[in-house]
Formats: sequence, C-alpha cells, structure tokens
Amino acid sequence: MRWTWLVVVLSPAAAARVEPVALSANPFTGGKGASFTVAIRGTGIKGATAIHTGTAALQASIVGAESEDGSKGKTDVVRVRFESAADARAGRYAIRLIAPGGISNALPIVIAEEPVVHEPAGSHDTPETAVVIGGVPVVFNAHITKRGESDFFAIDAKAGQQFTFTAVSGLPAPGSAGGNARGFDPSLAIYEASGSWFDPKRINRIAANDEPLWVLGLPTDARLVHRFAKAGRYLLRVEAFSGQGGPDYSYQLKIREGDAKDPVDIEAAWRERSYSRYLSANRLNELAERGGKALEHEPMETYGMGDGSEPRIKIPANLDGAIARPGEFHRARFQLDASRDIAIEISTPNTAPPEFNPIVRLLDDKGEEVATNVSVGRGACTGAMTKSLQSKAIVPLRNPGEYTVEVREATADLAGANFRYRVQVRQQVPHAGDVVIDADHINLTPGESKTMRVTFDREEDYRGAVAVLTGQLPPGVQAVASADFEPDKDPPPTKGKRERFSPRTERSVVAFIASADAAATPEPAMVQVTVHPVADGKIGAALAVRAIPLMVVPKQ
Amino acid sequence: MKLGVLLMAASAAWAAPKPVSLRIYPASIDLRGAGATQRLMAVAAYADGTEADVTARVQWKVSQPAATLDPAEARLTARADGAAKVEAALDGARAQADVRVSRSDLARAFTFARDVEGILTKRGCNSAACHGGVKGRGGFKLSANALYPKDDYDWIVKGGVYQVLTAEVKGARVPRIDAQSPEKSSLIAKPAMTVPHGGGKRLEKDSADYKALVEWVRSGAPYGEAEAGKEVKLARLEAFPSMAVVPVEGEHRLLVTARFSDGHTQDYTDQVLYSSNNGDVATVTPGGIVRGKRLGETAILIRAAGQVASAGAGVIGPPVASYPKAARNNFIDDHVFDKLRRFQIAPSELSTDGEFLRRVCLDLTGTLPPTGRAREFIASRDPNKREKVVDALIASPEFVDYWTFRYSDLFRVAIFANGLTPKFSDKYWEWIRANVESNRPYDDVARERLSAQGYGPVSRHFTPYNQIGTPPDTMAEEVRVFFGRRMDCAQCHNHPYENWSQDQFWGMAAFFGRLFKMGTIVVDHPTNMDLSSKDVDGKVETLHPRTKVPVRPALLDNSPVEVPADGTPRRALAGWMVRHPYFAEAAVNRIWGYFFARGIVDPVDDFRITNPPTHPELLAALAKDFRDNGHDLRHLMKRIVTSRTYQLSHRSNASNKADVVNYSRSLPRAIDAEVLLDMVSHATGLPETFSTAVSEGGSVGQAPWGMRAINLRDPDMYYSRFLELYGRPNRGAIPERNAKPNLGQALHMLAGSTYLDRLDAKGGRLGGLLESGAADEKIFEDFFLAAFARTPDAEETAELKRVLTARGDRAAALREFVWALIGSREFAENH
Repeated sequence: MRWTWLVVVLSPAAAARVEPVALSANPFTGGKGASFTVAIRGTGIKGATAIHTGTAALQASIVGAESEDGSKGKTDVVRVRFESAADARAGRYAIRLIAPGGISNALPIVIAEEPVVHEPAGSHDTPETAVVIGGVPVVFNAHITKRGESDFFAIDAKAGQQFTFTAVSGLPAPGSAGGNARGFDPSLAIYEASGSWFDPKRINRIAANDEPLWVLGLPTDARLVHRFAKAGRYLLRVEAFSGQGGPDYSYQLKIREGDAKDPVDIEAAWRERSYSRYLSANRLNELAERGGKALEHEPMETYGMGDGSEPRIKIPANLDGAIARPGEFHRARFQLDASRDIAIEISTPNTAPPEFNPIVRLLDDKGEEVATNVSVGRGACTGAMTKSLQSKAIVPLRNPGEYTVEVREATADLAGANFRYRVQVRQQVPHAGDVVIDADHINLTPGESKTMRVTFDREEDYRGAVAVLTGQLPPGVQAVASADFEPDKDPPPTKGKRERFSPRTERSVVAFIASADAAATPEPAMVQVTVHPVADGKIGAALAVRAIPLMVVPKQ
Repeated sequence: MKLGVLLMAASAAWAAPKPVSLRIYPASIDLRGAGATQRLMAVAAYADGTEADVTARVQWKVSQPAATLDPAEARLTARADGAAKVEAALDGARAQADVRVSRSDLARAFTFARDVEGILTKRGCNSAACHGGVKGRGGFKLSANALYPKDDYDWIVKGGVYQVLTAEVKGARVPRIDAQSPEKSSLIAKPAMTVPHGGGKRLEKDSADYKALVEWVRSGAPYGEAEAGKEVKLARLEAFPSMAVVPVEGEHRLLVTARFSDGHTQDYTDQVLYSSNNGDVATVTPGGIVRGKRLGETAILIRAAGQVASAGAGVIGPPVASYPKAARNNFIDDHVFDKLRRFQIAPSELSTDGEFLRRVCLDLTGTLPPTGRAREFIASRDPNKREKVVDALIASPEFVDYWTFRYSDLFRVAIFANGLTPKFSDKYWEWIRANVESNRPYDDVARERLSAQGYGPVSRHFTPYNQIGTPPDTMAEEVRVFFGRRMDCAQCHNHPYENWSQDQFWGMAAFFGRLFKMGTIVVDHPTNMDLSSKDVDGKVETLHPRTKVPVRPALLDNSPVEVPADGTPRRALAGWMVRHPYFAEAAVNRIWGYFFARGIVDPVDDFRITNPPTHPELLAALAKDFRDNGHDLRHLMKRIVTSRTYQLSHRSNASNKADVVNYSRSLPRAIDAEVLLDMVSHATGLPETFSTAVSEGGSVGQAPWGMRAINLRDPDMYYSRFLELYGRPNRGAIPERNAKPNLGQALHMLAGSTYLDRLDAKGGRLGGLLESGAADEKIFEDFFLAAFARTPDAEETAELKRVLTARGDRAAALREFVWALIGSREFAENH
C-alpha cells in the first residue's frame, strides 16, 4: 500500500474537533500523465494537510484553501493539485482529505483514457456561447454553476456519423451507486438550429436521453447514442434534471464516435440476490466455500430453453433461455426421488427488473403451483396484498414426484431477445450470504470509542458462525467484540412465506477503542477487516475484506 | 319510415299565408295489431324556405275504412286489414300518405316490462327524483326508467325494502298489490291519492292507465311473455323531428316511434314522458307539443320504459332580411350554416387578417405571432395565405409544445398524480410529446395508454400516488377521456339519467380489476396462476359492491369479449373502445371544444342522452372524417381552422348577438393560465423564471431561463402565483379549468410581479425600444402587433398620444401603456 502524503502549513485547527466531510470535487476528471487542479468543497476540511489517494499513480498536493459563506453556514474549499502517472489505470479513484479532525469520506476522481478538456470559463447556457467540441474522443470537465443553468456544446457531425455522449455526475443521485444525500442527475439532449415560423433562431430538440428508469441503486447518469442523419453543426445541452445547480454540480461529459460501450462494472463484492450475479456451473462449490465447507461438488449441467421442448433435467441444473415473444413461457421437468430442500436462483444477464421481470413457478405433477419467486405480503396500512419478484427462493419439497419449472415474463406483452435468464435449480447449500461492513473511515480522539457493524445473512439454513478479524491497528487502538442496541421492529401483519425469500440477518459489532494516551496518527492506518465463516471448528476463506482508514486525532 | 333530420320553423306570424307544399309524417304508416294507432303530423313549407307544423290547421281525410281518423287528435286507428290513403289539405296544398293495416284481429300480448313499466315511466314513478332514486322513496324502490323490470316486478308483487349496499331485502316482504281488492293495492291507491302519497296525484281514477293497472292486478299480476322467454324488448326511441324549430310562442308537435327488438315499430307519441331541459326556452306538453318561450335552444327528453331519447327545440327570432350568402370552405360550414339559416341567424363577417392570425396562432400553438410575422401576414395579398399559415403552424415545433401541454393536462402528467417522483411523470410527458411530434394516430395512443404494462412511461398513468388506482376510478377516467362519458354515478347505483346500470359499470371496471403493482411494475395479474396469493389468503378479483359476487369483464354494449387468463383484459377493451363510434365522437368533440370554447356536446366529456349535441350531423361528419383519415389529429385541426365557421369574426350582428351555441361568430374566450403567462412574457419581451416548489435531492431547482409555462413538464413542481390565480388545474383528477375571473387576478394585475416587474425591465421590449430611441408611434405599433396582432387605428394612436402628453413623464406613461395593454380584455381573451 502506498501513500501520497504531503504536508502544507495552514492555519491551526479550530478549537473543537470537527469531523471532516468532503461534499464534492470539481472538476473530477483528469487524463493520464496529466496534472489538474480540483476544488474540494466540504465542511470540517479547513486546515486540511494532505490527500489520501491510495495509489502512487495519482499524486496530490494541496495548493490552496478558502472559505465560503453560504445560506447553510460555512463551507470550506481546498484546492488540490493532482498528477496522474502516464501509466495510471483509467477509472475511478477514491480520494480523501486529511484534516485536523481526521480523515474524510471518499470522493471519486476519474482518470480518463481520452483527452480531457476543461470547460472554458464563463457561461455557456445559450447556443451562442456553446463550447465548441474540437475533436472526438474527448472528455469535458464541466459544471452547472447555478440553478436553471444549461451547458451548451457545439459539435460538427457528418451525415450518418454516430456518437456516444455520456454525462456522468460528480454528485450521484440518492440511492445510486456511490450516491450521497443530495445528488445531481444530469440530462442530455441534442438540438439542431432549424428554427420555426415564430423564431428563425429557435433550436429544436432532435434527441434526448435521460435514463428511462429511476430506481434506487441504479445510476442516473445520462447516456445518449445518436446517429446524425444530416451533416451540420448540432448543439448538445446538459442540464440537471429539475434544474438544480451550484458549486457541487460538476459533471464529466464524454463524447466518443460510434456506439461506444463503457466497461461493465464487475461486482467485486458477493451479491447474493443481485439479478446480474453470475450463476456459474460451479456455484455449489462457491456456496460451500462461503459455508466453510469442503469443495466436493461436480459442475452442474446447463440446459437450453425455449426451443419448444420441455427438457427433462436433472438437478442441480442451470436453465438458460430468453423470453423473446410476448406471452412466451418455457418449461423443464425433473424427477424428485425423495423429500428435499431446494433453492431456485434467477439471474438476468442483459436486462434486469423492472424491464425484464422473470416469474419462475414450480409446479407439481398435477400442475399445481408449489412455489414461485413471487413474494407476497399484506401492507401494514391498508392490508392490501402486495407482491414483488425475487431473484432467489428456497423451497422445501416434501413429496417425491415429477416437478415442472416454468419461466415467463410477468407482463403479457413485453418480451425481447435481451430478456435472457439463467435459472438455477439446485439443492440447498448452507452458507453466509451478503456481508456488509458499515464503516467507511474512523476518526478517534484519545479515550474515544466507535463501533463498526458487520451484518451477514444466514443463507439456506447456515448454522455456522462468522469471525470478524481486524489487523494493522495503530498503536494505542484496539478492536474488541461488543454489542449494541437494536430496536425491535413491528412484524408485518401478514408476511406470507417470507422465509423463502429473506434470509435471517445477524450482526456483529466491533468497537475500536483509542486509549487515553493513544498518540495521534500522522497518517491514516489502513485497518484490515476480514470476515470468515466458521464451521465444524474451522475458519473458512474470507467472505469480505475491507481496508478502513483510521486516524487518532488530538481532541483539540 | 325514415325519421331523418328535418328542421321546421313554425312561422305563423311571418310565413306566407299559403304554403307552397305540404307533407305528412309519417309518410308511410304501418298499423299492426288490434287497435293500433298512429299520430300524424302535417308540415307546410313556405316560399321563404321556412316550414311550420300545421297539423291542427289541415283538413284530414282517410280513403278507406281500414282505419279511422280522429282529426282533432290527428290520430289514425286500425279497424280492419287493408290499405288506405290519408290526405291532408291546407290553402290549396295537399299531401298524401299510405296506410297499411295488418293483423287487426291480433291483440298484442301483455308484458309487465312494456305495459306496467310503461305506465310507471310515463307517470314519472320511476324517475330519479322519485322511486327511481338511489334508495327509492318511502321504502319503495323501482329501477330508474324501468331498466330492471324483473327486479321491479319483485318489489311490487313480493314487496320489501331495497338496500343500496347489499342485495338482501330489508324487513318483511309485504306485496304492493292486493289481488282481492285491486283498487286498494298501494301501487294504485297511492298514485291515485286514495291514500296519502308523498309524490302527489299521478293517476286519475278514470284514466286508461288506472284501469289497466287495476285489470293487471285483478288478472293475477302476471309478468307476461318474458316468463316463456319470448319477451320483445323496446330497443330504441326515435323522435321526429330531431330538432323542432319554433318562434316565440309558436308550437310544434313531436312524434315518437318505438323500435322493438323483433324489428317492428309502433307509435309511442302518447306513451312517453316528455320534459324540457330548459323550460325558460321551451316547454313541452304531456302530449309532446313544444312551445317556444324565448330565443335559444334546449333539449326535450323523452322517456319510455327502459329507453330515453331526446329531441332538440330551437326557438328562433324573426326572419333576417337579405340573409347573407356566406362562402363555405368545407363540410363544417355546410352543417353550421344550414342550421344558422334555419334558425334565422346570420353568421358574422369573415375575421380580419390580424384577428384570424392571433386566434389561429393561439389555438394551434398557444403562442402569439411575432410582430414581423403579423406585419407580413396582414400585408400579404396571397389569397391562400390563411391556409398556408395554418400549414406552417401545424408543422411548427410550437405546435408540438402546445399540444403536448394540452394532452399532458388531459392525461394528467403530474408528480403527485402519476407517482411520487418526478422522473416517472417526466417520462410520461416525453411519451406524450413523442406522440404529438410524430402525429401518431390517436387510436394508437389510446390503445397503448389503455393497455400499458411493465415499467414504461405510460404504465405510470395507472399508478397515481404510486399505487394502482381502484378499478372503478381507473375505468371511469378512461371512459371519460376516450368516450367523453361520465359513468361515475353508476358505480353505486344504476345511472339515474342514462341507460347505464350498476352491472354495466362494474363489468367495465372489471377490465381493470386485475391491474396489479408487482414491485415497481404494472401487470395484469393472471387468473390461472396463483403466484403465491394463497400464502396470504389473497385473491385478485373485482367484486360487485352490492351482490359481492366476482364480476367478469363485460363491454358496455354486451358484445362478447375474449379475455385470456394470462393476458391483459385491457387489450380487448382498448381494441373495442377505439373502434366504437363513441371514441371518434368524443375525440373530435374535445378538439372542437378547444377551438370554439364549447363542444358540440358541452361539457366536452359529458355525452349523454339528456345532453344532446347542438349539431349531431356535424359531430357525426367530423367523427367520420377523423376515422377515415386514420384518427389524425392534425388533419382534424386543419379541417376545423380552415373552415369559414372558425374564421368568422367575433363581431356580432343583429341576429347573432344572443347566439352562443351555433358558432355564428367567434366567441371571446379566456386563455389558459400557462398560455396567458407566456403571452405576457412575449408582449413584454421578458421570460418568466420558474423555481421548483418541490425540492429534489435536497436541492431546489429552476427551469432553464426562457422556459415557457406551456413547456413545463411537471407543472406541479414549479411555484407560480400567477398560474395559481389564473386557474392552473390540479392534475390529481381530470383537469377542469376555471375560466372565471376572480379578485385575486385583479389584485395581481395591480400589484403582482408578473405585470409590474416587466414593464420596462432591462432586456424587455419597452426597454429595448426606449434605448433605441423609437418614436411613440413605433412603440405603440410594436406593442399592438405583439399583443393583438394588429396595428392601432388612428383613433387609438391619437388617444395614446394625448395620454402621453398629458402624463408628462414619457417613460412612466409608456410603462402605464404597456400595463394597460397586457391587462386589457382584448389581450387576455382569444377572440
């Protein structure tokens, strides 16, 4: 692990320790082998002394600081000079400020493959003041400085030329990946200066693409692929959905020729119920490992679905198909020789809910529905029946016999070649599912204690334990097992067969305690937190690993 | 017999004394069965083109004994099988009609539904105000207008008290008939007032109806043919003429023909209940004689057991001397001008170019014409310039802006109406805009909206408040939007004024009964799959609120419908709805209403028998043209605005001052709040700033500078005092705009920022003109063109100059001029 650690002499820390919070970075994109200055806004960052980038490929130094008086109090601005290595990996880097109050939360800084251009100074919110795009590919660092502002960019296109435009928010919307409490949801539109009877200078929208969905957890960044029918100069307009703007509303505008794809974000962490998870043929062993058990399962067979036949399968099995036509459904049959608890998992590699909404039903030999991936309950307020689709169901099958697995789309009219699915039908394998470590960073003063929660899901009747290990603690700081208070929640009035869809979640609490004489850490210690299953008296491979920056800071 | 549209003016006061021709109605008379009768009508035509009901004045004669004629009543009665001719004569004019009598020995079989219910209907017993009300009256419930004869039979013969919310009978069942002493039956004694009756006397003891009821009870109160399954039902009532035109104090009779389910017809003139929708305009006697009271138009409602019909009654003024011959541009003018001619109303002159340009720009695009365009148009000598500008406007992006706004209103694009997050409604708005921009056929638009599923933009329409709306609410909205009908009353009880039953309502509602929000998506829950419902003892079904029995989807006309168990029933409904004549009628009527400030049926979404169209043939012709042209809204709009009717001036003449329903002139009308605000911005040259009233992500937003009010996607998000005051509707329900002025508007005009802050602000029109050193005349002209699409006349200019001089302070005087201009009625109305 490498550090960028630069100290500048700034004003002394305020009397009371203030937790540093970084709100935004503007701009937040730089090129490879480039240097660029970023204004980081936040609270409690006054007197920041250093930047933590976590990599030598991105060096940073503080070059200035100032304070702003806003309607909601004082905000500090720290100006940081970043220098990226010529061979720096393109992508997001998490950077943090180190201030008198400790280490801040992370903000993203992006290193782009493409040439990076900064939006010229001044307003660009009219077609006449549009920023002219000189060449493609290009990445613009730009900024919606005030409410109601739009940024115009002018681009010359040849007839038939296709471009991909993406606007990535530096302040993701609530609930999106990496989102924070506020949010900036950028919108993109293309205009041509075709005028009208009323106004010969009117610009007319010819394409727009704000993302069609706004679902918690999905990014709200805008992507627009457009082929220009006619040669000419066009205008690209970027604005915030609902017209927000301000010092934190920075964005990255990327323009590439053709239908350019962005690399798919591979899910690094285990996501037990994500529709985009990969259900491999080796999943039984993957699960066994998460249960601290030996790997002894053969790879399961994969069956193609949708050719009109109803294949006879042997579980465990993967069923692959696509609901290509409205109303289409696919079936496969299997024989169950003895009572068995099975699990049904569903992934949708191309298109996930709420666009493609797979319903999986398990029918007995009389055609009666034994189980589905539809979770049902009754609303606490009205008592009305509510249903939702689930990507996993565990099903106790007590009666031997022939069963049919049926896959269909929830609506009667929606379908497509991209409505692809993989349904896995298998025996249950007890294991630890999702693990969540809730700490991002920890700042302690001498004598202070803070807790970190680690929650994990007991999947498929996993009865083992989990162990939470901490390492690389700075001197004077110890981590000890603890417990905290969790208020009871009212159970839902009628929960249906919730146990089929929701694992039992448990948590462990670790308290970090700084001794009264703990020395201040000049730089953050990267505390290693690892979570392991414990079964049959043995500790298994790590379920989750996280490095958490921890600092001991003086009380004043 | 063809009972077509015939407009007749009874013109006793001014018609030439001698008719040029005479006609008898019906022209061919078929008397079938023993004692069959037929009322006759004689109509005289005069040299000046008017016509009059002269039934009472002609001499009647019948040629053969097959039928006898009562000349005082103008009634023929069958006597023996055979043929005859009936003749009428008046002042040298003669007319003949053929009479055929058949099966004169065959007495018609009794049926409760026709005979007893007919009496109860004619006497008003089953009207909404009496026993046909929601709960009935005095514990006695009859179906409104005899919609459910079997139920009525039970309430009479078995007794009992009806309950609204359950099919169970309240209390002990005491029959309302007395077979031993029929006259003592409460069914008879009460209306005859031999015992106290809250509804007063309805039946004379010596009347035929009284005797018929007594005889029915005495004979054991049979139900009649239906018991053997042979019931012949009354299928339709037809009134003749469809529009009775009379002068003030003039009279015109109506003939009513009943058409039965077996195809035969019968004179029902004496067997129906007549009532006038507006007794101040015209009254009607129990025998169907319409009498004119004052100039105007109203409907005469005609009720028989199980059926309702209406006829128009127009009360006209004196003939117009030298009636003008107006040019006709298309079929709209034929229908409108023909009626005006018959009503003795002369259309106004053609509008001026400036008047037309302003009107058509506002109506097609919600946008005032730029001053340069107004100058250019007024100066142009191109005879086709009006059609050319219509084409330019319909092809303009402002047209797309405006009709996106219009349909966003109707389709309820609102953050609170269509989901709790603006993004949902934003995509719904985009869907509407794409449809307007591509001029997508309206039936396709309706089909998609009615059957939307999944998470797409249109499916948001079904999730007001982020929850699926109830089936009755959802259905009632769809029927109101796409059929122009309000079925809501029938949700709780049979519709009191229409022939819609509660069963029909719930049959339609059941099409939406499987709508289900599964997670975030909208689906039609299949009926052949449980999908875990039994885990919570749940079911997805629509229950009849009264009988508590699951209701199956059923179309209004009872045509069969196939609903796959795992498909969407709304698809079948959508297909049926867009093919139904109601669909095109409702669509063209709504669009017509946008251009004329009133629909041919008005309100535009209140089609009912008791609210008939003012121009039924025009409505039918527009609907046919709309269907024949692929449900093309732009085509329809062009058809309307290129008609002479649309292009008439707002200036009235002596004959059309009082006319507000016949399109004889352009009626000044209030402008929608959003358009008016944009007009203020246009005239002053300063756009409005819209800030979000709803914060999102913790940050308040603002619409881009220059955004017009009609282009706000989610208007609820933007705070605007002006829009609130001028009637921006709440889209929580189908918007109904209140065009009436109010005190708040007046105060805002006096002291509100919309008016005062713009008068000479930097960057505005006045500021620019002052900076450029423009002369007073140039400033007047520029503002007049911007606000009114015309230049000031000499008198106006002189008066303005005088005021300027008197004021002393030129800048202040010009500010006041601009204020007066944008606060004027001429500015705030489309005319």
